[in-house]
Amino acid sequence: MIVLVRKALLVLGLPSVLFALWWFASAGSTSFYFPPLSEIVAEFGETWTAERWREDVLPSVARLGAGYAASCAAGVALGLLIGRVRWLFHATEPVLEFARAVPPPVLVPVIMLFAGIGDGMKVAVIISGCLWPILLNTVAGVRSVDPVQLDTAAAYRLGRFRTLTAIVLPGASPRIVTGMRQALAIGVILMVISEMFAAQSGLGFAIVQFQRSYAIPAMWSGILLLGCLGAALAAVFACVDRAVLHWYHRQRTEEA
Amino acid sequence: MLEVAGIGRDYRVDGEVHTAIDALTFQVAEGELVCVVGPSGCGKTTLLRMCAGLLAPTRGAALVDGREVDGPPEDTAVVFQEYGRSLFPWMRVGANVELPLKRLGLTRAQRRERVAEALRLVDLEGKERVWPWQLSGGMQQRVAIARAIAFRPRLLLMDEPFAAVDAQTRADLEDLIRDLWARLGITVVFITHDIDESVYLGQRVLVLSSPPTTLRAEVHIGLGPERDQLETRSSPAFAKLRGQVWAEIQAAKRGET
Ligand SMILES: Nc1ncnc2c1ncn2[C@@H]1O[C@H](COP(=O)(O)OP(=O)(O)OP(=O)(O)O)[C@@H](O)[C@H]1O
Ligand SMILES: [Mg+2]
Repeated sequence: MIVLVRKALLVLGLPSVLFALWWFASAGSTSFYFPPLSEIVAEFGETWTAERWREDVLPSVARLGAGYAASCAAGVALGLLIGRVRWLFHATEPVLEFARAVPPPVLVPVIMLFAGIGDGMKVAVIISGCLWPILLNTVAGVRSVDPVQLDTAAAYRLGRFRTLTAIVLPGASPRIVTGMRQALAIGVILMVISEMFAAQSGLGFAIVQFQRSYAIPAMWSGILLLGCLGAALAAVFACVDRAVLHWYHRQRTEEA
Repeated sequence: MLEVAGIGRDYRVDGEVHTAIDALTFQVAEGELVCVVGPSGCGKTTLLRMCAGLLAPTRGAALVDGREVDGPPEDTAVVFQEYGRSLFPWMRVGANVELPLKRLGLTRAQRRERVAEALRLVDLEGKERVWPWQLSGGMQQRVAIARAIAFRPRLLLMDEPFAAVDAQTRADLEDLIRDLWARLGITVVFITHDIDESVYLGQRVLVLSSPPTTLRAEVHIGLGPERDQLETRSSPAFAKLRGQVWAEIQAAKRGET
């Protein structure tokens, strides 16, 4: 119990302090661009009505979810294949490194050319950024599976499928999760960016709209909402991580 | 059961071909327990991996039941030298032991039964729910041995399986292997660098030379089926055999022919 309280204090401490700092520092602000936080918070309730959630927030999150899920599925499947097939790895390595090095936002105009400006384009933009960290980390994870473990699987003739699902996938899972964590951060950024280019709905679209119509407190409230969304996703991710990799984290703490 | 016919293996290191095993020829009959000893780095692990179908020989071949080994043979279990790395840290002890049984067409209850029995034999009764990394090195090695036992192989290949366990556990495990071997009628190839262990365990001891490795000597251990850690080890016959193997290994290290 005391441990839980201490943990809660630790997790919420710094955000509370920063929030308070912002609150008091901006309290007397008369700047048009930096309104007092109290005003932003008040605006928050008015701006983010049920309708806005339905029209802007949910479509954004749905597109992020679709793009992220597709990236995870494709990244892990392709990563397993490339990581297990040696010639495929050597053939694709330079291309993958190149693809990873291209900053995803520059692809937005390119993707718009062939995917239009609909939902498909936005999901494609998210995938174009999320796929690479997952794919590259999966490949690296698969290739770093202990050869003695693979020998064990082979000696007992586990078979291709069981070796893949029971040995290679769990053996690579710490790296896969690392890739998925990086991809999630990239995904949130691309979700917003894709909506700033050409959109009729979405969080990014709404924020740009507020900014263009000089609804500054509403704009700030949107930024605040984005931050909260990112933090919530990170928290969910941490829970999944702990559930899937509990053996990995416990092994590391208990061996230390 | 196992026939090794002129088997040899070269490794390429920095573009230079280095002959680890030159040529080895020997046979292991069905139901035999043979120990292989040799100086460190003479290619014992290499030999085992070729017999297990995990490494392709450069020359010659290994045959199991008359069939050339070109992949892991059926009904063969291997206990690796790197015990800790051959267990899967994402599975509990029970799941580690059970994994190879899953393709044998056993029911869940039968698998459970085998796992429990194997763990009991290696003195880890009821440890199914423990994680491998919560165990000491010696206990981890015993889990690896339990996994091999539960599989009920016809051919059991072991690579220095007791290197990491303390003397008392080691003695117990040696007796366990001899007991299982006698009861189940399996064929065992046991690699070790411990001369006493090879003499105590084996019906026959194969002594390997230094690289490029050949079969240096073959010592028949006529100690009879009943062996006792105290009596056997202090018997004059044991001392004589031990001296014989020791002399061969010393000569091997000096590179004499
Ligand atoms: N993958 C490899 N690449 C290059 N050389 C290797 C490789 N594996 C083994 N060797 C070399 O082959 C020789 C035999 O190695 P091996 O591991 O079979 O010896 P060992 O008898 O099992 O040694 P130990 O008693 O230390 O376990 C050694 O000289 C080693 O350096
Ligand atoms: Mg070895």
